[in-house]
Amino acid sequence: MDLFFQQLVNGLTLGSLYALIAVGYTVVYGIVQLINFAHGEVFMIGAFGALTTYLLFFDGQTGVWILPIMIIGAMIASVGTAVLMERIAYRPLRNAPRLAPLITAIGISVFLQEFIRLFYEKIPDFPSAKQRIPFPQLDVVSGTAVEVGSVTIQRSAIFTVAALIICSALLWYFITRTRLGRGMQAVSQDPDTARLMGINVDRIIVVAFALGAVLAAVAGVSQGLQNNNIDFRMGFLAGLKAFTAAVLGGIGNIQGAVVGGLVLGVVEAMATQFGLGGSTWKDVWAFVILILVLVFRPQGLLGARVVDRA
Amino acid sequence: MRIPNLPESFTTKHAAKGWPLGLAGVALLIIGSFLSWSYDDQILGDLSLNLYPGGLQILAIIGAVLGLLLLLTAKGPLESRIGPWLDAALGLRALGLWMLIYMVLVLVAITTDSDGLINVNPGGWVSFVGALLLFLGARVVPLREHRDLAAARAPGWAEVLAIAVVMAGVLFGAAYALGREDAWSFVLFLVFAAGIIAMMVRTGILTWFGHVAQRQKKVLTLSAFLVAFLFPFTQNGSDANMSIATQVLVFAATAMGLNIVVGLAGLLDLGYIAFLGSGAYVAATMSQSAFATIGWKPPFLVVVLLGASVAAILGLIIGSPTLRVSGDYLAIVTLGFGEIFRFSMFNLDGNNGPNLTNGPNGVPGIPDLEIGSFNFGATHTIAGIDLGRFSNYYFLLLILIGGVILVFSRLNDSRIGRGWVAIREDEKAAEAMGVNVFGLKLLAFSVGAFLAGLAGTIKAHQDGAVSPDQYVFLESAFLLAAIVLGGMGTIAGVLLGATILKLLPEKLRFFSEYRLLLFGLLLVLMMRFRPEGLVASRRRQLEFHEEDEELAVAIEHELVEEAK
Repeated sequence: MDLFFQQLVNGLTLGSLYALIAVGYTVVYGIVQLINFAHGEVFMIGAFGALTTYLLFFDGQTGVWILPIMIIGAMIASVGTAVLMERIAYRPLRNAPRLAPLITAIGISVFLQEFIRLFYEKIPDFPSAKQRIPFPQLDVVSGTAVEVGSVTIQRSAIFTVAALIICSALLWYFITRTRLGRGMQAVSQDPDTARLMGINVDRIIVVAFALGAVLAAVAGVSQGLQNNNIDFRMGFLAGLKAFTAAVLGGIGNIQGAVVGGLVLGVVEAMATQFGLGGSTWKDVWAFVILILVLVFRPQGLLGARVVDRA
Repeated sequence: MRIPNLPESFTTKHAAKGWPLGLAGVALLIIGSFLSWSYDDQILGDLSLNLYPGGLQILAIIGAVLGLLLLLTAKGPLESRIGPWLDAALGLRALGLWMLIYMVLVLVAITTDSDGLINVNPGGWVSFVGALLLFLGARVVPLREHRDLAAARAPGWAEVLAIAVVMAGVLFGAAYALGREDAWSFVLFLVFAAGIIAMMVRTGILTWFGHVAQRQKKVLTLSAFLVAFLFPFTQNGSDANMSIATQVLVFAATAMGLNIVVGLAGLLDLGYIAFLGSGAYVAATMSQSAFATIGWKPPFLVVVLLGASVAAILGLIIGSPTLRVSGDYLAIVTLGFGEIFRFSMFNLDGNNGPNLTNGPNGVPGIPDLEIGSFNFGATHTIAGIDLGRFSNYYFLLLILIGGVILVFSRLNDSRIGRGWVAIREDEKAAEAMGVNVFGLKLLAFSVGAFLAGLAGTIKAHQDGAVSPDQYVFLESAFLLAAIVLGGMGTIAGVLLGATILKLLPEKLRFFSEYRLLLFGLLLVLMMRFRPEGLVASRRRQLEFHEEDEELAVAIEHELVEEAK
């Protein structure tokens, strides 16, 4: 039983991370019907943005007050990447056949990974990104784990779950209570009518990309704190799993992305502990779930939009 | 590459000067190439001798002679015969531009390779000035109206001869290019080749060649195969280039199989490498290797069929969701399958499942093939030329890729291929017309997988080892990129794309560090500026450029011609 609770905690932590990234997939898909394959790399760039901020201004310090500044640095890097990506690569392909944006996304994804791998060390006194880079350990969010009964909860895990709760609350407020958020809802329902009502659709699309990037940046920082290191490949698998989470919840549905992320995280943790083959098979489960969901319930758990069969 | 034309008034005013300027340029190019280009005799294959041109200088001379021919076509003895047909002025402009780029790069290469512009000898400057004069002269040679090349008729033997000449050019060009050891020579040769191709396009020679190829299809196909067959004989038994060539062939054969799935049926597959992998793993586990996990060692032909069948069954499994999933989702599903394959191969090591694949270590030490008494590992001498291990595999793979191309083109022209195209264009309409959509989709997946499995069984023996990390997602992305780059649904395009993507990183070592970066950039730029690929089928071109009225009319015209 203790084992079960321990895995539940681990699963929720992992799930929070997936959920934060998954929102980015869902928001963009809801508005432009585009699977932004390179979103995993936005998450990776976020982690590197946070590290860069730390190395530039606070190298060697461990005060917890650095954390918000690191998160802001991560957000700047992620949002910058996502907005540029939309501007340069996706916008010209708005009306192209479906294949073009997908291939572009693969291209961007490879390009960003290599860019970090090759050029991160070119900044003076920076470590090479070709190996794993240790992530700064700050007070309060790292250190001795909290013991509840016989369940250990890492401090970074508490940070991750808290980040998800805060981000979800802010996201809910943004989507339902602000002009921009309402505009996003309108565009996702019917872009043409929204345009007729005076909504600037292009701007809304940029906002959607930026919004996903902000959450991905937070996820990048959490990932760094949890694993104690980051590397340029971390975006690929995390991105795919987060996409699975988005599909599981129902792509285009924001609550769905959060629910899907948590469910996927818990399933993965449980499968690792109680499933077949132990931890070496853990990455396979996400893909199995992805395929099963897409085949048998393409609208996802919360049933957002019916997947087009075009 | 297009440079904006000079203003009309300027060109008409100076029209008479173009021709003599061009001739002077040609003369200087040739004279300069016979002189010494660089002081240093260690670089670029020794260009330092007078009256003894090195490789790059010979290229410059060839370029100059072509320029001379074009000039004489514009005004001179050749004008009456071929002047009305070929657009010599446009060809000259292209040639002049590329020769100028070529010479500038030569100067840059000499400068960087032997530190300093001072190492460029007078000959280099003379040739450079010649290229510059040719370029300037070509800018003002007057343009003329031309007759439609479709109506051009040459005697049959001349057409076959033209095909032979072009094919020989391709063969010697490829052999020469692969023989370059240093990156600069290779790049310079590519620039020269690009210049020749640009010249052929702009003069209309290629258009005419296209018409000829239509008329003499059998001759063209046969000669293409003959050239590919003769290629190992140009390598003097050197295995370095042959190993690259075999890799290119495996890659091209796999891409060709994927082309059936993506190019014809329009089903995006991002996990295709798994089929190649399954074929390779079947061959490895049934080989004579000491690490093979299955005790059964059937003859190779049985293994080939088994490997291909296993891949085809996997293809059926992966294809089964197509009934319910399509578009981007299908792409993600196939990606998921590809990753599952890799993880399975990684984990079936005896600890986490049955021991089939030795896990992360894979199956090393796979012996060379032996079919009958012919050992593929040994060197065979034919007509005094040694053909090493890789040449043997090269011939085998050539037969394979010939088969794949045959399957592809036959399917494409058959009822099945028509069905696939219909599904690609509009699934619902196809279904309404009685096309068996689900069956055809499954068929596309399984045929594609079967072909990849075939290639995989040979690849395992050629590499001598299989391991899971050869079959990562990036490889699938590469395959897809080869198809997109070359042109979907075409044969020549995919061969070209595969060759470019495999060959460049192998030959350009300085390139290898930035290989993936450039690859990503290339994908983005391709999708942005030429989404239909280098060798585009006309229909796809129209799909991406809907507003192009002229193109639409031209295609309609072609279709009417075909129908007649």
